[in-house]
Amino acid sequence: MSYSIEEIKQGVKLHCIDTNKFKTNLMAVFITLPLNREKVTFDTVIPAVLKRGTANLNTQEEISKKLENMYGASFDCGIEKIGDNHVIKFYLEALNDNFVPENSKQNMSKDSIDLLLDIILNPLTENNQFKNEYVEAEKNNIKRLIESKIDNKDQYALNKCIEEMYKDEPYGLYKYGYTEDLDKINSKNLYQYYIELINTSKIDIFISGELNTKEILEVVKNNENINKLKERKPNYIVNNEQTENKEEVQEKEIEEKMDIAQGKLVIGLDVELNDYNSKFPVSIYNVILGESATSKLFQNVREKASLAYTARSNYVRQKNNIYIRCGIEIENYDKALKIIKEQLEEMKNGNFTEEDLENSKKYMISGIQSAQDEQDSEITYYIGQELSGMLTTFEEYIKKINEVKLKDVKNVGNKVKINTIYFLRN
Amino acid sequence: MQIIENLSVKEKLYIEKLKNGLTVMIIPKKGIRKKYVMWATHYGSIDNKFIVPGEENATNVPDGVAHFLEHKMFEQENGTNSLDTLTALGVNANAYTTNNYTTYLFESTDNFYPALDELMDYVQKPYFTDENVEKEKGIIAQEIKMYDDYPDWAVYMNAIRNMYKNNPIKIDIAGSVESIYKIDKEILYKCYNTFYNPSNMVMCFCGDFEPEKLVEEVKKRLIDKPNQAEIKRIYEEEPEGIIKKRIEQKMEVSMPLFVIGIKDKIPEKNEDIVKKHIAIEILLNIIIGKSSRLYKELYEKELLISEPFLEYEFTDNYAHIAITGMSTDPDKVLEKIEQEIEKLKEEGLNLKDFERIKNMLYGNAVKEYNNVSDIARMFITDYFKGINSFDYLESYKQITLEYTYEILKEVFLKDKTVISIVKGK
Repeated sequence: MSYSIEEIKQGVKLHCIDTNKFKTNLMAVFITLPLNREKVTFDTVIPAVLKRGTANLNTQEEISKKLENMYGASFDCGIEKIGDNHVIKFYLEALNDNFVPENSKQNMSKDSIDLLLDIILNPLTENNQFKNEYVEAEKNNIKRLIESKIDNKDQYALNKCIEEMYKDEPYGLYKYGYTEDLDKINSKNLYQYYIELINTSKIDIFISGELNTKEILEVVKNNENINKLKERKPNYIVNNEQTENKEEVQEKEIEEKMDIAQGKLVIGLDVELNDYNSKFPVSIYNVILGESATSKLFQNVREKASLAYTARSNYVRQKNNIYIRCGIEIENYDKALKIIKEQLEEMKNGNFTEEDLENSKKYMISGIQSAQDEQDSEITYYIGQELSGMLTTFEEYIKKINEVKLKDVKNVGNKVKINTIYFLRN
Repeated sequence: MQIIENLSVKEKLYIEKLKNGLTVMIIPKKGIRKKYVMWATHYGSIDNKFIVPGEENATNVPDGVAHFLEHKMFEQENGTNSLDTLTALGVNANAYTTNNYTTYLFESTDNFYPALDELMDYVQKPYFTDENVEKEKGIIAQEIKMYDDYPDWAVYMNAIRNMYKNNPIKIDIAGSVESIYKIDKEILYKCYNTFYNPSNMVMCFCGDFEPEKLVEEVKKRLIDKPNQAEIKRIYEEEPEGIIKKRIEQKMEVSMPLFVIGIKDKIPEKNEDIVKKHIAIEILLNIIIGKSSRLYKELYEKELLISEPFLEYEFTDNYAHIAITGMSTDPDKVLEKIEQEIEKLKEEGLNLKDFERIKNMLYGNAVKEYNNVSDIARMFITDYFKGINSFDYLESYKQITLEYTYEILKEVFLKDKTVISIVKGK
């Protein structure tokens, strides 16, 4: 495996991951820009409109047929919040040339690159704007997508907790935006925004697979859509910089009602540590608290008290937060909350052992090593590194984890505070 | 050891049937760091009535025993929990139960053999007490309630219940809050002793392994158990027809969800089910797949916002199609799909569409060989259907337009079609 990065234009990087572990090549393009209330919904409509048609393949049907003819190449797009950035993502997965039936005359790598860039950079336009019909239809689809946030109750509860913790801050925005913005979007202003976006934003192109890196570089550099792109000094938020002040936060409890069978409890924690090196002990703290099966939450909320099936926590390193989540009987709210608070107290008092530390390290290292056996996880890791402004290789990451001492994790315990307790109930 | 090679994906399958009846399957993957193992028993939520080998009378057990067993297997006599032990070794361990099998698994990058020690130890040594069985009920009740809040699970189960009268597939895998409270340690031991015999089990490994050496390692860890006679499973006769055409339930959802189900005949012993499965997938894509004329129409009318999920599900005692999606008007979607099916029956299939979709599905089948966990899961799932997963790759070459058209007429029947809808309140 080898990983190389080349800046093909200022602000536009090509990342090649040369690996022979897979039957496929996976190509991903990420467009990164700061989250902002004004444009958050615009960002969501853009990929939806782009997937409708290119100047070469005018309809979704033609794109689908093209993909099917490429032995079921698959295209996907979406949008993600990574720290204070909004990241528009595009993926194309296709068979590696080694696994395409011999009678086929296709050059999969080149065709995939050309097609994906065609969808992103060469949209169908009419009178210098997006095709009106596509924009209007996709606005309706996005409206439904935004409204569907209530469908998955666990996710809904988590989003609500984050929203409460980051009121009026970029990270508190809903990643798909807001229905009331849709009326302001039309094919003209959306197209103008799109042009601005692709000429000023950070663009990262990833290609993973059994590649001839030199050849791929040539294909990308010679792609006419890439040639049209301007050099840029992209504006984005480097993810090691926390943008809010977390001290002085008052703990708050919020309750919301919905017709559901099970209560969803989410507790958002602030970690008052903000330097790069603290991320590693905090990761370990989180594993001991609630990420693995041996964690305090799993053992005490689930195994000992039988209060829940799911009881876990996850760490959002970009924002220095840990979120505890569990599904419980409504009437067990006080009981569960008491046990969870006791676990936080245990962590604060350093009631965990050298063995817990070693087990958590193994857990984390195993996770990071597995990521290299999955094409999309590996890309996700590297885009995370790219946005953090410094590249920590897998080896360095493992080294950093191994260097964490018990006292570092104990120190984290004193820096963790409850920000918001959110409960979705009936 | 039997070796089967597939040149399309350049992979090999090693199979060994041990003396005690256990089947071991190994798909070696050179250069991959992850090692994955699954140990599965042919015992799922549908096996709630059976005759224990050596007994005369049938045994009836409450719903949810297979799943309950899966939860309880991790508990050890010395007070430890194997999930904790495996986690402490740095491996990612889990277990799950389906309609027709239960499986225990882990994925490791290090400590593979110590973890295999633990896996093989706990699956072979149950330890149930009144106390530890009782304790689990609260946890499983919360698992069931978690599913109660998933509209996609409700809409699917309602479709199943509209298609099947007697088949136990209509029971929730975990059982119900009522049924699990009837489960005690005697029931668990009885089901364990019946279904966790090596002759009813299969192990599948995927990762960087030397197959011969690995089989020896497995043998070393096996406890001596006699190869038992066949378990007689009792399933009530299932009528061919459906129960009810339409069902609707109200939940907190933003937009209606639907599952359109088409009940099919139970696969026959000598039927080429792989070929049929592929033909049905081709047809589903021609009818309502992403490049189909009907999808284009429904998308433009805003009746669909993304392509429905298309699946043919079967074992040796049920078979049906499920088309799953979201729509503002699911009844209209059903009407349009039924019309399109009739139209295709009249007009016949277009060769170009057929070839293109066949290529796509072939590519998708190759992609299944990317990840060690996906590979093992696929081989295990297919094994319990009597299928070697490689057969799919070869069967694509043999499917003809004529055969596919025959399947269209035989399977896609209006009077076998149901719709289940979950709507907002």
